[in-house]
Amino acid sequence: MGDLTSLVFKRLGLGLLTLLVVSILIFFAVELLPGDIAQAVLGQGATEETVNAMRQQLGLDRPAPVRYLDWLAGAVQGDFGVSLVSGDRVSSAISERFINTLFLAAYAAAIAVPISIVLGVVVALLRNTLFDRVANVLTLTSISSPEFFLGYILILYLSVKTGMFPALASLKSDMGFFELLHRTFLPALTLVLVVTAHMMRMTRAAIINLLASPYIEMARLKGTPPWKVIVRHALPNAWAPIINVVALNLAYLITGVVLVEVVFVYPGIGQLLVDAVAKRDFPIVQACCLIFAATFILLNLMADVGAILTNPRLRHPK
Amino acid sequence: MTKFSDKDVLLEIRDLKIEGYSDETWVPIIKGVDLTLHRGEVMGLIGESGAGKSTIGAAAMGYARDGTRISDGSIEFDGMELTTATESERRALRGSRIAYVAQSAAASFNPAHKIIDQHTEAPVHYRIQKRMEAQEDAMELYERLRLPNPQEIGFRYPHQVSGGQLQRAMTAMAMACRPDLIIFDEPTTALDVTTQIEVLAAIRDIVDQFNTAAIYITHDLAVVAQMADTIKVLLRGEEVEEAPTEQMLDNPQEDYTKSLWAVRSFQRPQKSRPTDGTLPVISVKNVDAAYTGGVKVLDDVSFDVYPGMTVAVVGESGSGKSTTARVITGLLPPSSGEVLFKGEPLPPRYQDRKRDQLRQAQMIYQMADTALNPKVRINEIIGRPAQFYSGLRGQALKQRVDELLDLIELEPAKFYNRYPPELSGGQKQRIGIARALAAEPDFIICDEVTSALDQLVAEGILKLLDRLQKELGLAYMFITHDLATVRSIADEVVVMQNGKVVEQGPKEEMFTPPHHPYTDLLLSSVPEMDPNWLTTLLEERGVDNIGDAADV
Amino acid sequence: MSIFVIGYYAALIAASCLAAYYKKHGAFMLLFSLTLVSFIIGIIGGVPALRAVTTFAGALALAAGTSYAFKEFLILISKPALAKELRTAPLTASFGMFVIFTYAIAAIFAPWIAPHGESEVISSAFAPPDENMLLGADQLGRDIFSRIIYGARNSVGLALVATLLAFFMGAFAGLMAAVKGGWFDQLMGRLADVIMSIPSLIFALLMLSIFGTNLGVIVIVVAVIYSPRVFRLTRAVAGNIVVMDYIEAAKLRGEGDWYLIRREILPNSTAPLVAEFGLEFCFVFLLIAGLSFLGLGIQPPTADWGSMVRENATLISFGDITPLIPAAAIALLTVAVNFVVDWMLFRSSGLKEQ
Repeated sequence: MGDLTSLVFKRLGLGLLTLLVVSILIFFAVELLPGDIAQAVLGQGATEETVNAMRQQLGLDRPAPVRYLDWLAGAVQGDFGVSLVSGDRVSSAISERFINTLFLAAYAAAIAVPISIVLGVVVALLRNTLFDRVANVLTLTSISSPEFFLGYILILYLSVKTGMFPALASLKSDMGFFELLHRTFLPALTLVLVVTAHMMRMTRAAIINLLASPYIEMARLKGTPPWKVIVRHALPNAWAPIINVVALNLAYLITGVVLVEVVFVYPGIGQLLVDAVAKRDFPIVQACCLIFAATFILLNLMADVGAILTNPRLRHPK
Repeated sequence: MTKFSDKDVLLEIRDLKIEGYSDETWVPIIKGVDLTLHRGEVMGLIGESGAGKSTIGAAAMGYARDGTRISDGSIEFDGMELTTATESERRALRGSRIAYVAQSAAASFNPAHKIIDQHTEAPVHYRIQKRMEAQEDAMELYERLRLPNPQEIGFRYPHQVSGGQLQRAMTAMAMACRPDLIIFDEPTTALDVTTQIEVLAAIRDIVDQFNTAAIYITHDLAVVAQMADTIKVLLRGEEVEEAPTEQMLDNPQEDYTKSLWAVRSFQRPQKSRPTDGTLPVISVKNVDAAYTGGVKVLDDVSFDVYPGMTVAVVGESGSGKSTTARVITGLLPPSSGEVLFKGEPLPPRYQDRKRDQLRQAQMIYQMADTALNPKVRINEIIGRPAQFYSGLRGQALKQRVDELLDLIELEPAKFYNRYPPELSGGQKQRIGIARALAAEPDFIICDEVTSALDQLVAEGILKLLDRLQKELGLAYMFITHDLATVRSIADEVVVMQNGKVVEQGPKEEMFTPPHHPYTDLLLSSVPEMDPNWLTTLLEERGVDNIGDAADV
Repeated sequence: MSIFVIGYYAALIAASCLAAYYKKHGAFMLLFSLTLVSFIIGIIGGVPALRAVTTFAGALALAAGTSYAFKEFLILISKPALAKELRTAPLTASFGMFVIFTYAIAAIFAPWIAPHGESEVISSAFAPPDENMLLGADQLGRDIFSRIIYGARNSVGLALVATLLAFFMGAFAGLMAAVKGGWFDQLMGRLADVIMSIPSLIFALLMLSIFGTNLGVIVIVVAVIYSPRVFRLTRAVAGNIVVMDYIEAAKLRGEGDWYLIRREILPNSTAPLVAEFGLEFCFVFLLIAGLSFLGLGIQPPTADWGSMVRENATLISFGDITPLIPAAAIALLTVAVNFVVDWMLFRSSGLKEQ
């Protein structure tokens, strides 16, 4: 087992290192600004005094590496500094919205993951039938459509024309759980459509890849019935690719969520990020980027660790 | 057909036709083959690659691989017509009454389950045995197949067991339901000769003990001679002839079969080293080498190759023979020792060698498919070295390419503008030789150049290499694991094992006893055409030592 | 019972019978199950639902017919070797080629096709369609149809430039890494890992917030974000080639890196690289469309599909589908490219899943 734990720890260490490098990238990218933050935010028209005052306030007189360490230390404790536009603490603006975003992503994932894995396996079994071809065209169409296209179509048909669901996903604190699910159904469905298509295609490919291996042919030649070939012989070896598929798409949800939040005016962190970018509110942009990147890296990390843990060759060393 | 009465027919294939899907159309692979197999009979199916042996083997189970279909004919197994049976009827036969042993056991065992769990799957599924009984039975079979630790080995995962043992475990698995028929699909092709013996012996014993009928598919005549009662020869999806083994060996009828038998006849006289003080072309001196990671793969390797001579380097996989070639060419710098070219030390890394030094030593590869760029025309493949080293251009270059094509006995007008994938295996190998010759080298490394080829074609290549050596005075280093090749072409032999040179000397000396024990093992493990060879060998070695011998 | 409904069922049943008679089992099953399903649809949705089914089937048939005709046209005008490849193309792929062809025509001849100028204000805001304006006017009174035509030029052109840049950077780095190996390979690999560990849209937003949203910045940022993907693929494809004996033979001959790349590796990796170019274009195109939709991409008054959706989004709440047209244009092109790529990948992988 020593081999396995050391592999897992190595992977964890690598993940941490990547996160560190990414944080450096995010912080120092802002340093690349022509002039500096104060100049950029206040614009050309600002007087020397106001710019200087802002520099003072942001502590820009200190060297960049020191400010980075400061920022990182704060970020680890959940403190991302102060918004340049509103002057509020970034952490208070983010925390509630981040939970909203996580809720939306989890809502979509809870629907998409089971459906797409089951459908993916079914399509793999029925490969090259009419059903498979139709599914291929539909999933390709779905992943080719921009999220806002799908979102607006859903709004048009499920909200404006039929009035089944609300078009805007505004949240109130006193909503019941089911009302919450109802209100956020359209944004979740949009995400589900995109992610399901991706996941189905990848699950199908992973299984078909496995079905070509000699041990599957051997199982067939031993008289094993088809369902058992899949369940007993293919599936135990398919966990690694399937875990990968799921993690990759959960990570994709994070990117998709930004556009969907804008379409449905959903109070999430993506919406905040887009606003902050437009207003050049750098502390918020940096914080959001770091959170998105960290989630992304974490998911990839979990996928890799999962793949290591389910690999029979690694679980039972020589 | 005297041994078996017609009443005991187990499998009867009539006018079987199978098609494969390629380039958007169905093309025939098997063009009407008949086959009759009796209970307890072992039939050897032999033929070159592409003869359709494996396809027939799968068809005997009523199984058509992906991309193939049975288009015509009948397959009758014990009174049941498989071509018209439903899929579930056919499936009920597989594993219980017809079992299959695949070429690569390592790939054919599911990595996610223990060996014994895969073994007991069929008997438990068919309700022949309870799980515990099936396990007991598996252990007994393991013991009969002379696997080490029969009580314990089944509880390991496939990747924890060596290739030869895995192949025997797969034979045990095929035996689990005591089938009437087992299909062996090249079960020992992927193994080294010394490991091959144990598997062959185990398979033969167990088939005998349970009186199981078998179809034994292989391309190796000597192997099939040990195993089969009857031999059927196939060529491009058609039967050439069929006869009881001894009759087939002694008195083949068809020209094609005779040519297969005749292959091993080519032999040329042995040359000896020049005595006038000529320096060796290549001299490997006390070379040690290791791959990154520090595992030592070569340990104090030394030998000389003199002009105009052929030195065969022999050994099993992992013996370091190919690594030696990498050291000589400069792909793997040695950790100590050096390589001399005509007495001058060569820089260890090929990047540091001069163009002329690179020109002097050329290489011919085992797999002509990967040795020739599929997207480059023949004239450029051969012309490039001539252009690169001698600076030939235009008409002179074209003339040189024509000359080289003539030299390798391919018609220039026909091949000049073609691409490698359009050529046959033997032709590709000839192009590989021409590319080496284009550099006008003194020394050529031939890395298993004939082992991927069918025997007749291989023979042609060996003759060509011999002729070129005489005409151009080339020195060859001939890497091979095939002792028949060594017998036919070598002047000197270097035997390697685990990165060390075990023994070296002139060929005739090497093939006459006394040998080093390893050389002896290697020599005696090469199957011979005599059907009694395996029996005699086992008696000599003693049955119980076989498993051990392979672990030496 | 209207004549339409009677005709509808009569046509379906006649077609099923024909299919059954000619032993086309797949087609028969499809047609007859459609007949059965139509009963249910008809009961629930009435005549309009059946009309919708008919329209949909008609559109599908029209698309299939067009694709088929276009494929035959391509086969006839191309060289024998190419024609043989084209013959294997499924209808989806030829549909894709047709759509790409149409977009190319629209983009190249935009000024001649579009009835009005790109940013020419010709009527009141949100004016409904009339004989002068096919799709009506946008929020500033510009002709939406003309802007969509110009959009083909701007949106697709920008994505194409960014893709080309990403592709050349990634492919060059990948080929060099495969040939050189060692520390260069390691360094490029790690760099690609880091860039890919930030979600692409987020990375783009970060960069655009810093450098502003002019076209040059968009192209460079998008190219940097997507080049690691090309790098990884090229590295993998070339990595499979550099282990071949013919590369070893060329190296031992003393050939330089550039010769290896140009003469030995590239001819063997064109198929996967072309397919990757198509995929890459889809990603880049969707990313830029997303940025434009967020108001951070191509800036007004340049006509661009992503921003057009954003500008006219309010019309949706009145049940007007006009804002969906530019979005559909984006989706259609991406689908088309994906269809073609799907076919090419299937061909080049040699994957014959019989």
